[in-house]
Amino acid sequence: MSMNVSEFKRLLGADPLNRDPGTLHARDSGPEFERAAVEAENFERRLRSALAVNAPVDSFLEGILDIPGSATGHVAARPRWFAIAASVLIMLGIAGLSWRQAQLPKTIEKYLAVHYRFDGQDLIDRAQPGFDAKTISRIMAGLEMTIGVQLSNHVQFIKFCPTLDGRGAHMVVQTDQGLITVIYMPGTTVKDRRVIEFGNMQAYLVALEVGSAAIIGRQDQAVSAIDELVRNSINRST
Amino acid sequence: MNTDTERKIRFEKLAGRYSTDLYRYAMWICGNDALSKDLVQETFLRAWRALDSLKSEGAAKSWLITILRREYARTFERKVPKFTDIETVTVPEDEELEPDARLERKLLRKGIAELPKKYREPLLLQVVMGHSCAEIAQQLGISKSAVMTQLFRARELLKSKLRKNVVTGNVHERF
Repeated sequence: MSMNVSEFKRLLGADPLNRDPGTLHARDSGPEFERAAVEAENFERRLRSALAVNAPVDSFLEGILDIPGSATGHVAARPRWFAIAASVLIMLGIAGLSWRQAQLPKTIEKYLAVHYRFDGQDLIDRAQPGFDAKTISRIMAGLEMTIGVQLSNHVQFIKFCPTLDGRGAHMVVQTDQGLITVIYMPGTTVKDRRVIEFGNMQAYLVALEVGSAAIIGRQDQAVSAIDELVRNSINRST
Repeated sequence: MNTDTERKIRFEKLAGRYSTDLYRYAMWICGNDALSKDLVQETFLRAWRALDSLKSEGAAKSWLITILRREYARTFERKVPKFTDIETVTVPEDEELEPDARLERKLLRKGIAELPKKYREPLLLQVVMGHSCAEIAQQLGISKSAVMTQLFRARELLKSKLRKNVVTGNVHERF
């Protein structure tokens, strides 16, 4: 059954690159059809151009392939940190943000609390001895940094993570105090040796040559004990 | 049972094929570069853990986008924040473009970001992910005819926004 121009335009509006025989046949039905098809294709070209996004060149797989894959099945859902971040923003009544305004928490205190509550424990659960040293180096290199072996030998998990000021690294470190989290924040300046408490956790801040790090553990863990280790191990790539 | 190496090779190919599209899709639905990267990374982590449940490579794209959409839904269960830094990652303006065309692209980007979710999501699945109407219907759990209606309305809304915003004649005439 043939379609009229209105139906044809509606079809093109839904699926402008449709090339099934019925559509092609309709297009040949007359100049009005042809004009509608050309207009739809022009709009589609501009739409695709507007949607173009520069994707990052780095891999999204850093650290993932070192995690044992489970057998077939469902992966347990866990709350994500920016879900909580979004809730915090709502609670704070932050609405109507402008087109370019950042959504993440605005202060180091809120960021660390929200970030850790979101996936701190999740990533500790993923930690495993013998984590691939090359992955650790690659992730730090992605931030234009190096990590000394005295620290990397104890890293049992690492992944890129969002920070207040762009991308950073979230790592889990085995210490004699147990597993401790270190978040490296290359773009964030902090007051050195400051301690921030949230819930039953504490974060000890270390100002580095480039950016800073937060050493996070439970209140009963002496997180400052690895101050020198972190301070001496994270350096700018030469 | 695949060996670890075969499994890794299979997954790396999969990730290599779809990571760019997944990032673009994530960027357009959540609008934040760091969060989009995290969303894609988390999608791949979950996919890696459940790789053995993927029976056919042909189903990989839909499988990955399903995981990503679930992750996104968990992320913003209650409230979807507004777009933030999409303009920082979009392809830079072509200096060769006429001013009207540049303005039009900017307005289109804003229009896409402001589309209601029920219109924006099928449009992104179609244009960014290359899904057919039938695949979108399956992904969203609605009928194909409903998908076609939403896609049509999405494009009409964008055209309408352009008409309202553009006061110069050239762009106007295109519609």
